[in-house]
Amino acid sequence: MFDDIITKSKVKSPWLYHLNTGSCNGCDIELISILTPRYDVERFGIKLTGTPRQADIVVVTGPLTSQSKDRALKVLSQVPDPKVVVSLGSCPMSGNVFKGSYSIEAPLDRFVDVDVSVAGCPPKPEAIIDGIIKAIEILKDKRG
Amino acid sequence: MKFPYAGNALKDFFSKPSTERYPKVKKEAPKGYRGKISYDPEKCIACGMCIRVCSPGAITMTKGEKNDEGQLIEMKFNLNSCTFCQMCADFCPRGAIKLTTQYSMIATDKNELVVSGSFIKKIPPKPTVKTVQQSKAKTEASGSK
Ligand code: SF4
Ligand code: SF4
Ligand code: SF4
Repeated sequence: MFDDIITKSKVKSPWLYHLNTGSCNGCDIELISILTPRYDVERFGIKLTGTPRQADIVVVTGPLTSQSKDRALKVLSQVPDPKVVVSLGSCPMSGNVFKGSYSIEAPLDRFVDVDVSVAGCPPKPEAIIDGIIKAIEILKDKRG
Repeated sequence: MKFPYAGNALKDFFSKPSTERYPKVKKEAPKGYRGKISYDPEKCIACGMCIRVCSPGAITMTKGEKNDEGQLIEMKFNLNSCTFCQMCADFCPRGAIKLTTQYSMIATDKNELVVSGSFIKKIPPKPTVKTVQQSKAKTEASGSK
């Protein structure tokens, strides 16, 4: 019974982990802005967590630089299943203007399953909120 | 002792929260916001200018076989590679590209984030044999002078 309650409340209150893989900081600033009182995603029960081991939703920004690739994949593997990976901005989806560079390993979906992609460079905070709402829906489905 | 923000604090007690109730209350992007690309194949002439100026190489043009009717041209704007810089729209000589204020571009499969359009480029009519001969005669005449 306790497990049921815990599973239900986990869906109601997904914790978010922000993983920067060499982003230009544009997407990070926009992601931070949705945690501020102005947009306040805590309305949906979301809380930013500092450790991947407690996260349900991972938001990945940046074009996955060679330096950060192994570390990023290590961090992603530490997130307990079921997890939802959100790729934020054009960078993790394709490498954006950096694609073809010797130090870029994008796209991210070469290495992990990406559940939600939010386009934009950077996406508007409202678009990020839309993406996170979608991620919560997917998390609900995954938890059953 | 002074309380410099006491007035503000008191006012904020009775004012509405500044949080935007986004998904419930829809929000318009400001004028000039560079969002989702809209492409009008009717206006395009397949000059390729947009492809030249696009720094992340988000635009691709596929050319079909040439036949009597013309040539099928397909343009693809890959939004998952776009930086939304609006260079393509600024450089397009025909104004076929516009960046709309639609900001919400969410997909579970990133390949859905592509704007595409196709049209048939008409091949210009071949000049008749007569005019070619005439022009030849003209150049010869002017050359002999
Ligand atoms: S998508 Fe654009 S804003 Fe976001 S990290 Fe990449 S370059 Fe920066
Ligand atoms: S807005 Fe910029 S990045 Fe996007 S397709 Fe046009 S030129 Fe390329
Ligand atoms: S969209 Fe504009 S710039 Fe691009 S090929 Fe067509 S006419 Fe040329």
